[in-house]
Amino acid sequence: MAQEKRNIEINSRADTLDLMHPDIRPWPVTPPPDPEWVMANVYAKRKAEEFGKWCEDNLRYEYSFGKPEALQGFKFLCIGQWRLANKFVSALLCEAGAEVINIEPPGGDPLRQLTPFGREEYMLESKITGEKCGLDFLHEMRGQKSVTLNLESEEGRAIYRTMAGQMDGIIDEMPPGYMDSLGLGYRHLSKLNKGLVYLNMAVRGTWGPYKDKMSKYGQWTLEPFGGCANSFVHNTGFPQDQLPRGKGGDPTRSGVWFADYVAGEQGANTLLAALYWRDQFSGEGQFCEVTGAETQMDILDFDIAWYGFNGSIKARTGGWDPNLNQYEWNPCRDGYMMIGGQTDRLWYRIGMCIERDFPQFGRLIHEDPILKEMGARNALAMLIKTYTVTTRWLRDINRIEAEQKLLQYEVAAGPVLFIDEVAEFPQFKYRPWVSTIDSDHYGTVMFSASPNSFQMRTPHRVKVLGRPLGFDTYEIMQKYCGVGQSRVNELKEKGVI
Amino acid sequence: MNDKKEWRTKYKNLIESPLEEQYGPKSKQELDEMKMPYEDFCKAVFAPGHEMGKPEALKGTRFMSTTMYIFTPHSCANLAELGAEVYKFEMPRMGDPMKHTSPFNEAYLYPLHDTRPMTGTGYGFTSANINEYYVSIDYHIEAMKEPFYRIVKMSDGLVECYRPGTFDRWKQSYRYLAEMNPRFIYVWGGGFGYGPKVFGGSYDILGQAHAGLASVTGMHEFMGGHCAKHSNWCIDWYSGTQITFGVLAAMHWRRKTGLGTMIEFSQVQAATRVLGHAAPLYGRFGIVRQRWGNWDTQLCVHGIILCGKSDYPDAINPQDKFEARYAMVSAFQDADFKALCEVIKKPDMYSKYIKHKDRVGAEAQVDIYATLEDWAKDKSRAEVVRILQNEGLLAEPVMNDREVYENPHYRTRGTLRWMDDPLFGDVLVQGTYSAGLMSKTPRRQVWIWRPVGADNVKFYHELLGYPISQVKEWYDKAWI
Amino acid sequence: MCDIIWCKKDVGGKPCDTVNYLDPYCFWNWKGNINCAECGAVYFIHMINGHMYKGPEDRPGEKPDTSPLYADKPLDGYKFITMGTEGRTRPFQCLPRHIYLGVPDMVKFSIRGKPLRGWRPQAPSAGIAGQFPFNWNIKKLAPEVWAEYQEKIAKGEVKDW
Repeated sequence: MAQEKRNIEINSRADTLDLMHPDIRPWPVTPPPDPEWVMANVYAKRKAEEFGKWCEDNLRYEYSFGKPEALQGFKFLCIGQWRLANKFVSALLCEAGAEVINIEPPGGDPLRQLTPFGREEYMLESKITGEKCGLDFLHEMRGQKSVTLNLESEEGRAIYRTMAGQMDGIIDEMPPGYMDSLGLGYRHLSKLNKGLVYLNMAVRGTWGPYKDKMSKYGQWTLEPFGGCANSFVHNTGFPQDQLPRGKGGDPTRSGVWFADYVAGEQGANTLLAALYWRDQFSGEGQFCEVTGAETQMDILDFDIAWYGFNGSIKARTGGWDPNLNQYEWNPCRDGYMMIGGQTDRLWYRIGMCIERDFPQFGRLIHEDPILKEMGARNALAMLIKTYTVTTRWLRDINRIEAEQKLLQYEVAAGPVLFIDEVAEFPQFKYRPWVSTIDSDHYGTVMFSASPNSFQMRTPHRVKVLGRPLGFDTYEIMQKYCGVGQSRVNELKEKGVI
Repeated sequence: MNDKKEWRTKYKNLIESPLEEQYGPKSKQELDEMKMPYEDFCKAVFAPGHEMGKPEALKGTRFMSTTMYIFTPHSCANLAELGAEVYKFEMPRMGDPMKHTSPFNEAYLYPLHDTRPMTGTGYGFTSANINEYYVSIDYHIEAMKEPFYRIVKMSDGLVECYRPGTFDRWKQSYRYLAEMNPRFIYVWGGGFGYGPKVFGGSYDILGQAHAGLASVTGMHEFMGGHCAKHSNWCIDWYSGTQITFGVLAAMHWRRKTGLGTMIEFSQVQAATRVLGHAAPLYGRFGIVRQRWGNWDTQLCVHGIILCGKSDYPDAINPQDKFEARYAMVSAFQDADFKALCEVIKKPDMYSKYIKHKDRVGAEAQVDIYATLEDWAKDKSRAEVVRILQNEGLLAEPVMNDREVYENPHYRTRGTLRWMDDPLFGDVLVQGTYSAGLMSKTPRRQVWIWRPVGADNVKFYHELLGYPISQVKEWYDKAWI
Repeated sequence: MCDIIWCKKDVGGKPCDTVNYLDPYCFWNWKGNINCAECGAVYFIHMINGHMYKGPEDRPGEKPDTSPLYADKPLDGYKFITMGTEGRTRPFQCLPRHIYLGVPDMVKFSIRGKPLRGWRPQAPSAGIAGQFPFNWNIKKLAPEVWAEYQEKIAKGEVKDW
């Protein structure tokens, strides 16, 4: 590509922002390897050309748009604010081909306004409506339609009921009992629609002694309250033995609203399982509830079960895993390097790789009788010893060098990458894992692709990202409620829509 | 009479609704259901502890779990919890390598297999392979192809996690199996999938590191921190659950068309999927999302603070004694923040940061949280939480495993419970029920796991119809 | 840091020959005095990004600021000094229990006092081809644990939660 030189005057940070605009600096900055290169240098080296070709011919991301969609015809309503869990359920369902209508109050979901450090310049503006949207909302609002409705009004509730009668499922992430108090809960709507699957979502629950609270001033409970209530936060982070308390040696939350994502995917599974039972066996819908605190507890390894075993309370171990050796990341010359390999086969491969550069490793690690036994290697003392000597090797090399060296020994190893590095990592842009969409409202937007996109017959896919508030109101009102535009305009004036 | 009046006020909307006549309760029972307070209704329909009388959502579905570790096993365990019949295939005498992992080498249940009396199954294996039947098989043996193909023809699908091309070399990849069973849903789950790093191995921790999750988790350098690993194998579990989503969607499509599919699922990619605004922010502005410790980049106040004293200074367990010092505080809306500033007697902090936009900026956050921690430095966690809650603000303790165990919430909801496992005895169950409540087809857990090859007779003899003499012969040769 | 101090100090005519492990994260950027876990010799070190910028330098007579977590003697059968050895290594506080084991805990009862198969060896009980039933015949396979369980019940030590 010919590079055009430009003179740019930079007077403030604002002048630099557009320099990275995809129109000026398109992604990827360097092209991914081409399939012929991969065939010759990757598959052929393992004598797997035929299999490799089969995979590339049948599973390629680019082909997904020409294949059918698994959930074609399923329809869902989603009503929720502030949180990512309901958005993630809806995103997953849309990626698989379902239709999801996102109901927002006339003022919009406040999640639309969230932006890092409050910087409005990081929000994207719709080219059509001029409205600004925060990137978290935009990224998870994939494929969904946006309709505004004021459920505090009787007309709004009537419209909602009419729509609910035609849906396969409803995703409700309003405060505990709110929809029920409006007469729009499961027990009401299931009378209209016997096949309706109703999914409640919450941080800790909509019922029970430790259900979600609302502050005196109406503020909602949001993640990471979920992670705080299931020991995830307590168990994550560096111990004060490795870093001083208050300076990194503390329990640590996930950098993202992780419990929301976990609840989202289990919510989607719950909906699909309930619909499978409805369609295959019973014709009946049901009532479900999925929470962030609990779904994350479901996947919290053995942590709570271990307390039942002998009263252990899991402690945090920073970048190390207490169950496997090696299985950790440690600092290296230009960042952090992750190394994993627990079985004897892999353990000695890692060791041989390090020993080649650093002969003392063999003496200190391989020959230690305790470290010869797989289970015994997991003792804390053994982690300390192994990782000290491993890091003695890592301090002299960069991430990429360490990765190349370890991959020669077929060891699972990878650098801690930042998003710019992720976006340019050859494998990631080859498939691609982050990709861009040229969209009507927001121009070219980079997003994380669906990991279920690589399929023989019904790959999931993302076609639309983000939606201005209420953009689909007229269509949905006409299509599902028979409410024409003049009436919609009237209702808008009354504050119902 | 009073009752009725109260009921009328409470469900005013329902009664006044024009649709009420048409859609109202049709029987006494339904009427009662409508009258119940919401919480009682939830408790009654979910009926924790009474799962067994209800049907299973995936009744009649049979899946093969030719998996190891956590990621791919969990995708099948999700199905098994929903009622599918799942067979877990393991290497004879050895089992899933995950059976040999345990925190600090301390917690195991025995036996793993009669031939290895001193080896147990470590707690690392917990929850990933619930309710399954355990079969042993050595795929390397040519003679074992036949039973493998037999079960493929009798199953709905399979999840495998071997290096790409391995099952193909063994003639049991999708292109072979789909010919035997076109309904088959075949999942390969692993690190990378087709492409330049196709043969790269993967683990949860690799996903956390490689995909960018680690880069946004942990204290920032200026706070003294490093990239922190999520405590658990979260990317393994989370990605496995997304495989389940792919499988369930494929099952819906198969109901219409009779055709299965193959899913090639990369867990490292799944980890990139949770990064939210990281990709669009970088793609448009070149801004690289960083870690921000226990605070939130988009909301303030919404973070975890260190309190001066532990709640249990006299406890024996160090996690109670030293660590019960952290509280999550959330007051990002104006009124909440104002009240918070008043409680901690810093009204000037409110006037300094009146708008959310003012307080969510990086320097403002540093200032605000320092002020909060300064206020909390002579208080215990419980005091901090109580003072804030008394003012109607949102604040909760950061709970440890014991506190979670003792929390009545999870007991009431049945999401944490004890189970009498058929082989291992009294186990505390944190999974399955917690993955989501369902009123008519609830998830259930019937056993945690079984020894290697514990169901060989059930599988090879009772299901596939091989004579016992054959099964014994294979066993003696260590083929199963 | 991520280095080791291989102490060669003369102790009673023989070299100390103890490897003191300076664990990563804690010592990645660190400056101060540290003792040898075996002979107590004090060294000054200044680590920057895992590299020994200065040291280890002898600091006889000075007090250590910290100690290694773990040390061992590869030339003497890998004899080791583990965490929390009074006056020699520093304790590791962030642990799941007050006692650190590092070896399998032989557990016969869950925390609420009911039998749990957490000990070894177990009496063999597999059937054909490694088959196991769906019950644990504890009375037959582990009569002593069964008896202990009966005592626990009698004493009221078995709880619901």
